[in-house]
Amino acid sequence: MSNVHDPRPGTMPAGRGLIVILVALLTWSLLFAPRLEEAAEVHDGGARRTASLIVLAPLAGLSDVVGLTRVTDGVQRAVGLDPDAQPGDEDLPVDPLPDVPTSPQPSPEDPSVDTPTPIRTPTPSRKLRVAIIGDSLAAGVGYFAGRVFDPTLSRVSRQGRISTGLSRPDYFDWPRAMERIIAGYRPDLVIVMIGENDGQHIRSSTGRIEAQAATTAWPPAYAERVREFMSIAVAGDARVVWVGLPVLRDRAKWSGIRRRNEIYAEAAAAIGDVEYLDAWDLFDAPDGGYTAYLHDGGRLQEVRTQDGVHFTPIGYTILVREIARLATERFGLDPATYSP
Amino acid sequence: MLFPTVDFAIFFTLVFVGHWLLAPNARLWRWFMIAASYVFYAWWDWRFVPLLAGVSALAQGGAVVLDRFPDEGRRRLAMAGAVVAVTAPLALFKYYGFISLELANVFGSPPLPLAQLVLPVGVSFYTFMAISYVVDVYRRDTDVASPGDVFLYLSFFPHLVAGPIVRPEELIPQIATPRDPRSIDVAGSAWLVMGGLFKKVVISSYVSAQIVDPVFGDPGGHSAIEALLAIWGYAVVIYADFSGYTDIAIGVARLLGFDFPLNFDRPYSARTVQEFWRRWHMTLSRWLRDYLYIPFGGNRKGRTRTYVNLLLTMAIGGLWHGAAWTFVLWGTLHGAYLVVGQVVARRRTTGELHQPERARWRPWVQRLVTFHLVCLGWVLFRADSVGTAADLLGRLVAGWDDPTRLVTPVLVAVVLGMLAVQTLPVGASVAIRQRLAVMRPVPMGIALGTTLFLITTMGPQGVAPFIYFQF
Repeated sequence: MSNVHDPRPGTMPAGRGLIVILVALLTWSLLFAPRLEEAAEVHDGGARRTASLIVLAPLAGLSDVVGLTRVTDGVQRAVGLDPDAQPGDEDLPVDPLPDVPTSPQPSPEDPSVDTPTPIRTPTPSRKLRVAIIGDSLAAGVGYFAGRVFDPTLSRVSRQGRISTGLSRPDYFDWPRAMERIIAGYRPDLVIVMIGENDGQHIRSSTGRIEAQAATTAWPPAYAERVREFMSIAVAGDARVVWVGLPVLRDRAKWSGIRRRNEIYAEAAAAIGDVEYLDAWDLFDAPDGGYTAYLHDGGRLQEVRTQDGVHFTPIGYTILVREIARLATERFGLDPATYSP
Repeated sequence: MLFPTVDFAIFFTLVFVGHWLLAPNARLWRWFMIAASYVFYAWWDWRFVPLLAGVSALAQGGAVVLDRFPDEGRRRLAMAGAVVAVTAPLALFKYYGFISLELANVFGSPPLPLAQLVLPVGVSFYTFMAISYVVDVYRRDTDVASPGDVFLYLSFFPHLVAGPIVRPEELIPQIATPRDPRSIDVAGSAWLVMGGLFKKVVISSYVSAQIVDPVFGDPGGHSAIEALLAIWGYAVVIYADFSGYTDIAIGVARLLGFDFPLNFDRPYSARTVQEFWRRWHMTLSRWLRDYLYIPFGGNRKGRTRTYVNLLLTMAIGGLWHGAAWTFVLWGTLHGAYLVVGQVVARRRTTGELHQPERARWRPWVQRLVTFHLVCLGWVLFRADSVGTAADLLGRLVAGWDDPTRLVTPVLVAVVLGMLAVQTLPVGASVAIRQRLAVMRPVPMGIALGTTLFLITTMGPQGVAPFIYFQF
């Protein structure tokens, strides 16, 4: 060694450093094992999930036996977290839901008939309440909806939760969340964009597989979930715009996405006050393929992000504009509520 | 591979063991560390591994060639060729999409095929270091190193994806000399790693989600108070995110026996914008000075040319951050601040402007003004378009009667607290570090594991990539 010298004060040899690192990781693993195990369990199969569970299950068990779980649950409560919350409920925060008095609204006589009823005309004192529901695509719609909807006449509640869908209520239970949103916020207009993550086994809220992915049992089971979800959305007199999934760069996903879009469109046609917006046609290339660009406002704009799934701010803004236009066309939404 | 992940914890533990076991065998150790660094890089996307290797080979090839030429003209030509060659991939990946789209709008139809090229993680940082190496060999500031040393210098995983931008004479001698396994500053390293994780996982994630993302996404729907807190909040977010990453990088390198230069020194305590740039992303500031400003002529070619050089250097620095007009404006704005700062300083020296009287309150006013000048730049930096930036600034004028929903006491405390700690002296944390340093390994490990648990509990489930990964 050319830089041999006496050890500096406060330093230690590499072997002791390794002990520090291993003890630190072991301590963290023991304390955090229950949460890690929960996160690993909701992954849909794969060697990584299996390997994670093999390591984490005994650690989580040990943590429970020695009473560490109670301590860590207490710490979570102390920092404002719910240790019993579903994994999908812990991510980026969504807007809090205020209690809103019921607004007089022309209500459909029979919600199962496809006869859209007009939405109420908002005023500055009684703004249009818009709720945006779904996965990360909906989270993006939520962030940029305010650029289209006039804040003096509307209020947008962002409820998009990343990595969620309708096939995994064991990860995040959207029907239950939707009931809460409808009861607490009483939206006039619900915008739903969900399903990009749903190409997997359909599970119950306890994680039991109800329909295997890529089997004949899957489409009817998924269609049932979509219809149930739509029924909850319109139950509180809301009008619903269900945004279909856009064309993705990854062609391997196209057939699954198209199948899901057919399910959404069919369900929307069968349930009153739900309208389907075809985002695939809106954003595909003239030859029907994927493109990241779209002409808008006399300029060619980059509308898709590099992941080939999500939208740029301009892309989301264009999408929200189309949603608002459809709401005007089908539900008579006052065009003054948004910028065309 | 992201630092705050289980993957990295496992990876680093294995590398730590391999690194110290192989340290006595320099040749084997070097190959092991290169392999580990390339695995770290391939974890993102293995397809970019040849790019990293290619830039390293070009830099070394250029340095070897230019060093063989005795005459200045040919040395200079070889240096320029090597700089162009190592910079070409960065230019292609970073600016092709922007240029092809702008040309399509100018000519009505795309003269170049439109393409969204995925920017390889860290390409800006290792390109800058490759340029440093070639230019420093040309300037005879550093010798041509062995190929293994150069490959490791450019790929060394602690700095690979977001710096700090380490100069050849700072890192290559450390690579060439075996590290001493008997005196590792574990306590100091742990302090940096834990502090960096806290800033990134807790502070940056929380402030981003609570105020910055919603307000910058939709400025028109928020009040003046929300707009103001979002702007201050973004100043906190970008500092916590980037300095957090750098702290982890420095700490991780220190556990392996390497010293990296400091990259942040309480930047929001700066009393002038010039001082801000001596405290913010310090390794980029000195890179811009040494490899752009000075080659442009620096302050050696008259007053006007000095000002032009400052503006040009900062505008290019802005463009480096991304192919968007917002970044160019951000860089130019800082260039303008620096020019104005120089003009005022010169006039005070010549007596054209009077020297301000010394008063205890003056430094605080200077800090407040400098902070807000920097914040004005951050609005351009964060906004997705100039229009959005203008909308947000407009809310500061027009949004005072609008309802404020996102501002909570906790959020205000976090934002102001993070700004306030910047004014504390450097030694404020020494007592904690000293207490940690005297602990035995097992208690220290338990203390660190518990701290890590608290950090991961307070943070969101998935951690967003560091802001500077995109640059």
